Amino acid sequence: MKKLLLAIGFIGAILATSFSQGRMVSGKVTAAEDGLGLPGVTVVEKGTQNATFSDIDGKFTLPVSGDEVTLVFSFIGYRSKEVALTAGQSTDVQLDADIAGLEEVIVVGYGNQKRSEISGAVGTIDTKEITSLPVLRTEQALQGRAAGVQVTQNSGQPGSTQSIRIRGTGSLNNAEPLYVIDGIPSGGIDYLNPADIESISILKDAASAAIYGARGGNGVVLITTKTGSKGQKPQITYESYYGIQEPWKYMALLNAEEYAILMNESRSAAGLAPLEALSNPAALGEGFDWQDEIFERAPMMNHSFSFTKGTKTSSTAVGGSYFTQDGIIGGEKGRFERYTFRINTRQDGGERFRMGQNVNFTHLNRSALAENNEFATPVGRALNMDPITTAQRPDGSYAYSEFIDSDIANPANQIALNNDFWTTNRFVGSTFAEFDILSNLKFRSTMSVDLSLGSQRIFYPSFDLGIGANDPNRPAYEFREVNSLMLGENKWSNWQWENTVNYEKELKNGDDLQVIAGYSALNNVNTNFYGSRDSLASNDVLFAYLSNSMNNAEQAPTANGGISESSFIGQFVRVNYSLGEAWSLAGTVRRDGSSRFGMNNRYGIFPSFSAAYNITELPWVAEKDWIDFLKLRASWGQNGNADGIGNFDYTSLIYNGLNYTFGSEQVQVNGAGPINTSNPDLKWETVEQTNIGVDADLYKGKLNIVADYFVKNTNDMLAVVPLPGVVGFLPSATNVASAKNSGFEFMVNHRNQKGLVEYAVGGNISFIRNEVTDLGDGGQPISTGSVFGIGDLVAHTEIGMPMAYFYGYETAGIFQTDEEAAAYEALPNAQAGDVIFVDQNGDGTIDADDKTMIGNPHPDFTYGFNASMNYKAFDFSLFLQGTHGNDVLNGVFRYDLNTTNLPVAALERWTGEGTSDLYPRISHSDPNQNNRISDRFVEDGSFLRIKNVQVGYTLPESVMQRLQIGKCRIYVAASNLFTFTSYSGLDPEIGTRGTLEIGIDRGFYPAARTFMAGVNVNF
Amino acid sequence: MRILMKQQKTLYLIGFLAVSLVACKQEFLDITPLVGSTEANYYLTPEDAEAATIACYNNLQQEVTNIQGSAQLAAHFRWYFGDICSDDSFKGGSGDGDEPDLFLFENFQGNSSSRILLGEWQVAYRGIAYCNLALSNVPNIEMDLTEQARYLGEAAFIRAYWYFNLVTVFGDVPLILNNLSPSEYQQGRTPQAEVWDQIIADLTSARESLPKRSAISVSEIGRATWGAATALLAKAHAYQGNWQACHDLCMEIISSQEYFLDSSYANIFTEAGENGPGSIWEIQYMNASGGNWGNQLEGTFTNVWQRARGQFGGYGFNIPEQNFVDEFENGDPRLTATVFQEGDQMGDRGTFSLDATGMPHLYYPKKYFINASDEAPFGDPNPNGYSNDRVIRYADVLLFGAESAYHVGDEALARQLTNIVRARARNNNSSILPNLDASLTGQALLDAILHERRVELGLEGHRFFDLVRQGRAAEELTEFGFTAGVNEVFPIPEVEITLSGGLITQNNGY
Repeated sequence: MKKLLLAIGFIGAILATSFSQGRMVSGKVTAAEDGLGLPGVTVVEKGTQNATFSDIDGKFTLPVSGDEVTLVFSFIGYRSKEVALTAGQSTDVQLDADIAGLEEVIVVGYGNQKRSEISGAVGTIDTKEITSLPVLRTEQALQGRAAGVQVTQNSGQPGSTQSIRIRGTGSLNNAEPLYVIDGIPSGGIDYLNPADIESISILKDAASAAIYGARGGNGVVLITTKTGSKGQKPQITYESYYGIQEPWKYMALLNAEEYAILMNESRSAAGLAPLEALSNPAALGEGFDWQDEIFERAPMMNHSFSFTKGTKTSSTAVGGSYFTQDGIIGGEKGRFERYTFRINTRQDGGERFRMGQNVNFTHLNRSALAENNEFATPVGRALNMDPITTAQRPDGSYAYSEFIDSDIANPANQIALNNDFWTTNRFVGSTFAEFDILSNLKFRSTMSVDLSLGSQRIFYPSFDLGIGANDPNRPAYEFREVNSLMLGENKWSNWQWENTVNYEKELKNGDDLQVIAGYSALNNVNTNFYGSRDSLASNDVLFAYLSNSMNNAEQAPTANGGISESSFIGQFVRVNYSLGEAWSLAGTVRRDGSSRFGMNNRYGIFPSFSAAYNITELPWVAEKDWIDFLKLRASWGQNGNADGIGNFDYTSLIYNGLNYTFGSEQVQVNGAGPINTSNPDLKWETVEQTNIGVDADLYKGKLNIVADYFVKNTNDMLAVVPLPGVVGFLPSATNVASAKNSGFEFMVNHRNQKGLVEYAVGGNISFIRNEVTDLGDGGQPISTGSVFGIGDLVAHTEIGMPMAYFYGYETAGIFQTDEEAAAYEALPNAQAGDVIFVDQNGDGTIDADDKTMIGNPHPDFTYGFNASMNYKAFDFSLFLQGTHGNDVLNGVFRYDLNTTNLPVAALERWTGEGTSDLYPRISHSDPNQNNRISDRFVEDGSFLRIKNVQVGYTLPESVMQRLQIGKCRIYVAASNLFTFTSYSGLDPEIGTRGTLEIGIDRGFYPAARTFMAGVNVNF
Repeated sequence: MRILMKQQKTLYLIGFLAVSLVACKQEFLDITPLVGSTEANYYLTPEDAEAATIACYNNLQQEVTNIQGSAQLAAHFRWYFGDICSDDSFKGGSGDGDEPDLFLFENFQGNSSSRILLGEWQVAYRGIAYCNLALSNVPNIEMDLTEQARYLGEAAFIRAYWYFNLVTVFGDVPLILNNLSPSEYQQGRTPQAEVWDQIIADLTSARESLPKRSAISVSEIGRATWGAATALLAKAHAYQGNWQACHDLCMEIISSQEYFLDSSYANIFTEAGENGPGSIWEIQYMNASGGNWGNQLEGTFTNVWQRARGQFGGYGFNIPEQNFVDEFENGDPRLTATVFQEGDQMGDRGTFSLDATGMPHLYYPKKYFINASDEAPFGDPNPNGYSNDRVIRYADVLLFGAESAYHVGDEALARQLTNIVRARARNNNSSILPNLDASLTGQALLDAILHERRVELGLEGHRFFDLVRQGRAAEELTEFGFTAGVNEVFPIPEVEITLSGGLITQNNGY
């Protein structure tokens, strides 16, 4: 930090040596369209800090530093202009209205389109935001930035995936969008260096995504990477940041004294004598803070460079980066490292022929701790561990707890023993050739390869927290007598070949016709190999190899592996037709086939239509001078979702491994048979979506509004409908279910300048309603989300309800007296202090039929807000993001074990009549099952997070010239600075585990609060 | 005209390109699995026949199983029904809320939404489906006829075993003898008598084609034998009160000299005692298959389920009741082989004290206790217990022999067969377990035989079914909530009633 301050001081010193005074220039600024004077225009002498503004008539005078100067005129809604003149002169300047916002070209499927002509719902992410903000992974760039796109972390651990839902959860199976990077469909985007990204478009409605046919149903995220441009001067960019991450919250838990009091009370309620060790609670004091033990401050760092250059006939972009991030739990045991390297080139081969190549190599290293389950995660253990046990004994050895065992073992020891390494080497490359058959008819052929090699290496060293096998108190989970090693190798290789023809024609009446037709073939092969062995000779992970075993004969290594393949074929055509300036029409059809579909449904056809009408063409609108541009959009289309289907799900495979053990030597003999029923009708899920929207640019581009309403129905959704047990085989998924997502998205941006201050504020908000509309014959609900601490499945998917809503017992307070409890016959084992569970069906007993909706994990709305400001060389930005109305299920505590630590709320327990109507008495035996799944564990998960706040300073050009640097910006930033939430757990932003487990906290690895400093330099 | 020509050429070009793009090979999408076959190209070779038969055995090992089509795991041990629902043991666990379905169960409050019952139902019918697959496909395979007959006998035996379990737990159940096509998925219940007839038919045919135990090789230990089929058939007759048929079959086994009693009762439940001289039908388990939660493979959960909690690392289920402990005669060594009492050494895991277990229970079951040193050599030890499930022992056949002899009027033989069991337990210690006196006759003799069953076969999953079969359940179990005319069978899982489209009806009283 000291170094940074010194650097700032140094830069300040350079600034002070600025300019000398003397000569003047003056003039008048007018608008080109009407010739009227423009007030408030910024006039700057180029290369200096000299600046002024035009007055109410558009006039200005400015003292300048030299005889020959260049003035830069800039104003919101107009194109900047540079004018060279001599001191003492006067000049009249006309500024042209900036309609670039409308002319802006947006990447859509298989092509580009002007923003003004787009008739579907396409969201874009301003890539300036990606480059100016430190974005750790590409998914983060989408969070809170685009209406209708919900991005939630599945874990705060470095390298963990994020759950992305475009316009709600549209499938019971795979609900993640399709990623297409430079035209290559790609599973996941964690291999990308965010700094390489040129543009991100999000195809939200069916019409925009229709050209991706059977795979576009969950929406499509299109990413293009930087290519440089022809004729461009060489440019080198270097970006770097360093950050320190820290936990932003600890849960409030019982201290040792409170723990002892409650455990004694719990035992005595069950008729058990108090434990000797807890007999004097006051003497135990505060005890040990396990959260403090496992959390730490952890560094992260990024270096990224890029080089772009163009000649008359070619362009080249080269980029490389290194990123590393340690975990706030486990430090280097939770480390994620990413090395990327990319070359994109384009060449002209004469007038009619072009070609290009994109080559990306990424190396990922990840060391991961178990996360968000209730069995063996450091977070879950730290929260559940009794506060009396310390992590280490005075002699430095790891201690075990005398109060709790099974899954709750010493988390510090667990972290120390964790050896779980993942390495990925991924090569993604493509090459294309484009040929102009006629001037307006282009043929393009693209071949791409995506090869990913993943290795996993897990080593479980032997250990013993006791004093060996003779330790009478040694809990079963606190030792491992035999070490073991697991190695895995996975290879995914995909290739895709696409050929397209593109025809463009301006018709005689001024209408525009554009047709693109194409063919796509894709093949995907996955092979994997796993091997394991135990009783390795060394207990050191460095020497953990399969062949390094103590006993080669008896402890033979095990090995297994497999191979799987799938293929897709698609044919598509899209026609865009512009009727003058007023109408834009588009129609798309794609026919897709896949080896994953059953024999009876090998091909599907996916149509869509969309239209946009430019209202600004109407005379009565055109005359309103505050309306720059106003467009109505409407679209309808069908897509498929095929990525939730396994490769051979349609058939009934014979599985080996239905083994049985025979003989005195206990030899496993192979048995074989089918597991599932077959389903030759298996096909894609059909997503049908209607969208209407409006785009408005108002007040000379100062206000920009996009609003959309959509209804998205997913039909033919794959669900496993239970079969009668007598069938004997497991049901396979069938296309029986339906769901509906409908909602409203609204985005508004305002930018303006006041004096030297340029500012922009913007926000987006999405209201999405999710509902399951069909689950096939019988409509049997689907139960998911096992939470062990409360011993039940907590999520329920049922017709007429949102997917995976929380399902359990409703409570109605606490029985205050034994008489009251006895009078409530539905709970025969209840007594005073126990929870009153509501008998929903009034049948006099409390059983599974009395479960009801106790929470909804889907937010009522999600929103993002950003504000930015530039003043001279300083820039400031603020980005907030949040959700509202979603519930979180707090399944952190292992109530089934009855000796875990507890949240401080447990102190509010019922201890006698009138003491509590919220928290039940505490009892080891819990005969009333007070901790069964109920609304007691559902909390409001709404949150508002200050995702990013940053202040930057761009060094003045005069300094840069001296340093011979093009541009240099330094900044400090903070991520997750504050989170406003009423949720009691470590982090309210909890993603999914599988599609049908949303917002369940089982000891979630929380996001870190990060403070960063960085620099961006252009040479 | 020239312009028109040019436009036409353009259109031709587009057309040509479009056609060439569309012309793709259908085979591109026809990918066959590179690993494994589909049902259509299987059941062709003798190896397929063997694998299809082994698949029938596979389901016998499933104690904690995925409920079909959901992520729920259901535990449904033989001893849940036989022991915990009887007066021999309590549920145990960490408290009443641990396995709450089982808590309701043992108090006869169990309802039709219980996962235990759904697991039991689904695993049985899954097992039956594999037997039906083998029984319908193996006959079409060209192969050695003796081998083929043996495979079919094994499949028929296992199918009978499943129906035996189903009919004793649920009463009338759907009788499925072929693999069902989608139009046949919904099936109603078949009267018990018809199910029993099928059990008897399957076992009778199995008995004819299965080899005697003495005729199978060491590597085949664990496969169904003539003895297993005959013993199960004897039991099937006993459950229906066909005492003469039961008696004849028991005597056939006894006189075959295929089986004899291990001289040490305690030895039966050690690893060395597995598949011992008195073993007629054991479900095989091993500890080194690497099974895990949700994928049990070759190990058993019974060991960890029944072991004490706390330092012993178990879950502490199946707690012996005082009433059961009191049933043992003074000095009966079978008590110490069956039940751990306070102060006993629990193998290499330490001394049993209430503090060490953290629970208030005075007794723990011992027959399925294993030492820490014998736990799975790798992986999670909990789903990887090694203890075989002793389903039918020779002592069981001797006592059925005695019970049936009593019922057919041969009291001397009844006493004699019971005394064989008592003599083994006595193990030459003349001060305990005297022979039944020749004066013991009538009801007193029957009581003595039933007493002997309870202590000899204690905590092996028999008691509840014996009480029901003997019509004594109401007498012994009313204090636990048993209602005569209702609780003899368990409710049919509600889900199965719904999925049958109402063809399946609920048992009386549920």
